Parts: sequence; C-alpha cells; structure tokens
Amino acid sequence: MLKYIIRRIIVAIPVLIGVSVLCFIIIQMAPGDFLDQLRINPAISKETIDKMTHQFGLDKPVVEQYFMWLKSAVTGNFGYSYSYRRPVSSLIWSRAYNTFILAITSLIFSWIIGIGLGIFSALHKYTAADHILTVLAFIGLATPAFFLGLILLYFAARTGTFPITGMTSVNHEHMTTIGKIVDILKHLFLPMLALGLIRLVGIMRQMRGQLLDVMHEDYVLFAVAKGMPRNVVIYKHALRNAINPLITMFGYALASLLSGALIIEIIFSWPGLGRLIYNALLEQDVYLVMGSLLISSAMLIGGNLVADILLAWADPRVRLR
Amino acid sequence: MKREENTAKNLEDSFERQYLSRTQLLLRAFKKSKLAIISFWVLVFFYIVAILAGFLSPYDPYVNELKSSYSPPTRIHFFYNGKFTAPYVFKTQTIINPLTYERSSAERLELASIRGRNNNKQFEFTKDKVAQIDLSIREIINAYTDDGKKVELSNKTKTVNNLLKNERGILTDKRVVRVYKDRYMIDAYRDSFDYGYKLQGLKVVKIVRIFTLDSIMVMTNDFNIHTISGSTVKIDNYTFKRYPIKFFIHSWRYHLLGIIPSTLHLFGTSDDSRVYLFGSDKFGRDVFTRILYGSRISLSIGLIGVAITFSLGLFLGGISGFYGGITDEALMRTTEIIMSIPGFYLLITLRAILPMDIPSTQIYLLLVIILSFIGWPSMSRVIRGMVLSIKKREFVEAAIALGLPKRRIIWKHILPNTTTYVIVAATLSIPGYILGEAGLSFLGLGIREPQSSWGLMLAQAQDTYVIAHAPWLLLPGFFIIVTVLAFNLLGDGLRDAFDPRSLGM
Repeated sequence: MLKYIIRRIIVAIPVLIGVSVLCFIIIQMAPGDFLDQLRINPAISKETIDKMTHQFGLDKPVVEQYFMWLKSAVTGNFGYSYSYRRPVSSLIWSRAYNTFILAITSLIFSWIIGIGLGIFSALHKYTAADHILTVLAFIGLATPAFFLGLILLYFAARTGTFPITGMTSVNHEHMTTIGKIVDILKHLFLPMLALGLIRLVGIMRQMRGQLLDVMHEDYVLFAVAKGMPRNVVIYKHALRNAINPLITMFGYALASLLSGALIIEIIFSWPGLGRLIYNALLEQDVYLVMGSLLISSAMLIGGNLVADILLAWADPRVRLR
Repeated sequence: MKREENTAKNLEDSFERQYLSRTQLLLRAFKKSKLAIISFWVLVFFYIVAILAGFLSPYDPYVNELKSSYSPPTRIHFFYNGKFTAPYVFKTQTIINPLTYERSSAERLELASIRGRNNNKQFEFTKDKVAQIDLSIREIINAYTDDGKKVELSNKTKTVNNLLKNERGILTDKRVVRVYKDRYMIDAYRDSFDYGYKLQGLKVVKIVRIFTLDSIMVMTNDFNIHTISGSTVKIDNYTFKRYPIKFFIHSWRYHLLGIIPSTLHLFGTSDDSRVYLFGSDKFGRDVFTRILYGSRISLSIGLIGVAITFSLGLFLGGISGFYGGITDEALMRTTEIIMSIPGFYLLITLRAILPMDIPSTQIYLLLVIILSFIGWPSMSRVIRGMVLSIKKREFVEAAIALGLPKRRIIWKHILPNTTTYVIVAATLSIPGYILGEAGLSFLGLGIREPQSSWGLMLAQAQDTYVIAHAPWLLLPGFFIIVTVLAFNLLGDGLRDAFDPRSLGM
C-alpha cells in the first residue's frame, strides 16, 4: 500500500513540473507585465523601475526566469506578490485553507445528505417521493452553481437570517472562541449550501442506481432467501457493495470542487483561493497566479490520489493489481 | 387474448428488426423516450426563437431608457370592469416613498372620460373629447397621541393626472382615509425630516391620512379647460386610458436573419406605454428582449465549441491511438498536464491573459477557442482508447494488409466507428460550453455590455440590494437551466437509442 502511494506521488512530480511550464508559457504570452502600472506613474523614477526589473529578474531571458522561479519554488518560496506586498506562499496558504474549509464542509454535507436520499429513493423506488427526488435531481444537474448561489443570496437578502458576505463579522476579533466558531459557521452556511446542493444531486442519483443494481445480485437475493432481516440485508450486504464506485467519486469530487468554488467564493466574497486568483489575474500579479495555479493543481492531483487510495482501501481487487 | 396480442407484437417486432434500415431502427428506439423527444422540440423551439429574436422582441436590446430602470414585469389585463377585452396595459410609474425613500413601481391610471353631476347639473366629457383630466387632491396628515390629542402634520393640495390603484376610491367616495397603527410606520414618521420635529416627546398611537377630492380640471381637445369644483360634485361614471397590446406593429429597426432590414415586430404597445414581459434591468432595457438576444450566444457557443473540440479530439486522438510511440507519449502527457489544472481556473487564466477591449465578435470567437482548448484533452483520450481497440479488429488489419494509405485507414475505417460515441458525447458536453460561457460572462470576463448573454445578465443580480428589489433579473438563469436540461435529456435519449440492445440487434 505504501509503495503504491509513493509510486503515485513520484508520478505526480513531472505532471506538476509540466503544469508549471504550461502556466509560465501562458502568463508570458500575456501582453505587458505588472510593472506597466508603475511605468505610467510619473511619480516613480526610471531608476526605481530598472532596479525592480532587475530585482524580479524581468531583464533575463524567459527560460532563465522560469528556472529562477522553479529553484525558489522547490524551497517553498513562490516569489513576492506585487499587489498584496506579501510573500506569495503565506498568502496562498491562508487562502487555500479557507477554500479547503469551504470544500470539505460542502463535501461532507453533500455526501451525507446525498447518500441518505439516494438510499431512500432506491428503497422507495417508483413512489411519489422517488419521482420528486428524480425531477429535482435532473433540475439540480442542470443548474449552474453560481445561479444557485444567486438564488440563495436572494432568499438571504429577503429574510436577513444569514450574513452574505465575507467569512467573519466586523466584530469578530472581540468574540469568545465559541462565538468566533459560530460566526464563521454562519458565514460558511450559504456558500456551503450553494456548492453542496449541486454536488448532492449527482451523488444521490449515483447511489440510487448503484443500490438498485446491487439489489439484484445473487448474494443479496440469497441473503433475502435465507430469511435475513431486511435491514441487515440492505445495510450490511447491499450497501457495502453499492458504495464502492462512490468512493472513487469522492476523491474526484474534491478536485472538481475547486472549480465550482471559484464563482461561489466571488459571489459570497469568501476569501478563498478562487477569489485570490481572480484578483491576481486582473492585476497581472504573475507570481501569485503561478503559485495559486500550481497549488490548485497540486490539490487536484492530491484529490485524485486520495480517490485511488480510498478505492484501494475499500476494494481489495484494486489493491492486488 | 392477451397472449395473442403479444405474439402479434412480437411478430411485428421481429419483422421490423429484419427489414428496417439502421437509421429507421435508431429512430424507432429514440422515439421510445418521451423526455428526449420533448427536449428535442424544446431545443428546436429555442433555436427558432433565437433566430427570430429581432422579430419577437418588442424593444431594442441595446437602447437604454433610464426612466424605467428596474421596472417590474408589466401586468397585462384581459378584463375591464369585469368584461373580457383585448389585452391591454396601463402605464407604470416609479414611486419613491417620501418617508423611507424606497423605490417601487406601480400602475398609473389616467382618466379618459368622466360623467357626473355638480349642483344637480349634469356634465359629461367623453373619451374622444378629452386631452387630459387633472385632479386636485388635498392630503391631511394627523397624528394622534395616547391621551387623544391630535397633531396636524401636513395639509397640502397636489394636482395629479393619474391615480394609483388603491387611490381609486377617491373618485366615488371623494374621501379616502388611511390609518397606520404599526410601529414601523409611526417610527418612519417620527424619523422623517418633514414631520419629525412636530412629534418630539409625544407618544403617538396612530397616524391618519385623509385624502379629499378638491376639484376636477378637464382639458379638452380644443384646449378649453373646464374646472369642476365644490363639495357637491358627484361622479357617476369614469373610464381609464388603456393602452392595447398591438400585434405585428412597426417599431425599432433590426436585421432579420442578419441581412434583411425590417421594422416589423410581433407585438408592442402604442404611445409611450411599455410592455415588459419579464421586467426591465438597471438601464431600463427589456429583460425579455435581452434574454432572446442572449440565447443566440448560449445556443450557438455550445454547437461551435463542440464542433471545434471534436475535430481536434478526433484528429489528435486518432493520430495518437493509431501511430502510438513518441507522438502518443507527447500528446498524452500534454493532456494529462492540462487536465491537472482545475478547469475553471485555467479558463479564467486563459481569458485574462488575452486582450480585454476587443470587438464583441472577437470576444465570442476567443471564448469558443478557450472553451475548446479546455475540452479537447479528455475527448482525445477517449478517442485514443477507442482507436486502440478498433485498430486490432480484423477489418482494419485487412485494410493495412491491402496497403491502403494510413490517412485513409484512420478517416475511412477507424474514426467512423466512433460516430455513435461522438454524437452522444457531443450532445452531453454542450451544456459544459453553455455553463462555461455563462460563468465567464458572469465574472465579467466573457461577453461584455451592451451585448447580451444570459451569464452577463445574471451579473447584474449580484448586488444584494438589486436582487431583493428586482428578482426578475434572475430569470435568465432559468433559461440556462431549461437549455442545459434539454441537452442532458436529449443526450440520455440518444445514448439509450444508440445502445445496441435497444435497437433489437
């Protein structure tokens, strides 16, 4: 198992280097650089700009610039954010942490509710409740996350129950520890719901389909035939087998959450990685864009790795291969 | 009896299986899924609407009309005084609450004709004689304290040429009384700049507003003004100006199918009344019109994007799978790298590095190219896998043995075998392009004002204040959902139809 994980990590390194090369090429293609804003500012002398050009290595050839960046990136230094005037790595880590909180909570929310509803609708196949859930699922699968976000924003604005912007209240610093946690959870609720509900329907449909498939397997029929209680058959025999493909989905969901989180973060002003990269792009903050693209890619690759490990853990057939 | 029916059906089935062509069988299988058929016709309808957008929209999508900013959907009336009539609308008006400064919109009713008595003298002004009827209304505001004392806050007359619906009573009763007892209204009066100082230190329990009709001024078409005033005025009958909805009228200019100049529109209203089916946006543009124009972007970007992605995917996937070796390695590693960057992150990065201030047609092309760039890797990986397995089949080996050129083998023998998959996958991946465009436009990185796109229209609804007061701005989202849903269901139907088991083969 450990060997498997190590092998996967080693394979991921060239991919990450490839990602960084690709990002670097894309960013080099952009017209101008972030010093352009300073060049048009008459208050800044030419010497200062020359000094900064030299300091950031902008006067060197592109290939050399890339290796300079790579050398420092390996040691954990992703350069200096121009617009935030802070090292990129510290900026990214705090933001990545916020995105991670959002992603994980919505993941947990969607998985618990999704699997529950999936089991419910499989066990109540073709009843009114099942039909309603199916229709909702189809609509949910067609709804863009940002539109759901806007609808939630609408209800929040009408009722005023939940805060709608940011991650903390103005008086967050003066709260007790428990108050602080409650405050963050309150702010977290709507973006989490927007992200989670979209995921939920997919999981629900998958769970329903899998469980219905498994219910016709011989071992389930045998368990029923030998007179086992229905609950034991469902939860011990059928469910354990039906859930395997969903475990693979879990890891990939973690990865695709990153993309979905971007717009949600912008709508709800959640200080996460998506919003950071959006602003960095608008400001042409090269190193910040590079850093966040790389970290988000690493998170995606990590998510896929987690998916494979989870599957290997749950399904011995995969492990033996 | 039942068994006989079944055998008859079976016989027919086996007959069809034997003698119908593959296309007929496919059609037969496809027709079995009702949802897919419905989705198909919904999409056909949407495409026709998108093509005829200019004819169907009552107003110019690019002309601002700040007077009717955030006007709610216009109410279309079918009844007048309980009688069924041709559809008509009233003019609408923005009202600013003098106490809270909140804006709202309401129908304004203008008098068209009036008949009544004054001092037992009959007067009558019919619709064809009247130019305008003004009403002079006196408004008295009184506040009552808990010990029964009365404080007069205001006593003014104003002249209006229209009434709000809930003020209609003034014509028949000549006197309307409103009583406010709730805390919110009383506090609003207490906090207001005009009346607040009169209520200092008093415990107000209710506010009473009394409206009385002072006089009626009728301007006739020959520019005579008749003033009817006095306490003995009694109005027997009156009508309001109605603005009928007209069909096939000539108004703003557009190009039908992009070439034929035309001014003919399906519907509209007369004079300066407006009919906003879905309300209007911040700049007073008709949301209905802009949804129709926006549908052109959303409906076409998917088709064009898929066409580009699939040509690229088929070409690169085909080469990669057929030749193998170093080409295959290089291509597959590239796809892996592109797929390792979260899709939407890559999307906005690519968009952000490309120039922003370019003409809208070029932005559209850029979006298509960017969306296709994100889409091709997964596509070519699947095609590669399919080519690898088809390559080992006998008919390909035979073609190689016959010495056919490789290009011909790929295009004529291998790729046609992926058609089924490609059609289904193409239909199912169109929603991705629609959502991608909507998302980019929503973030301000896609289609730009004054052009219209569903995502861009939703961007206006990001503001909490706007969204709470003009929820009709969310409507484009429902069109996105319906379109995406239709493509999903159509794709599912096609997949089931192409499944060999459903063909009965």
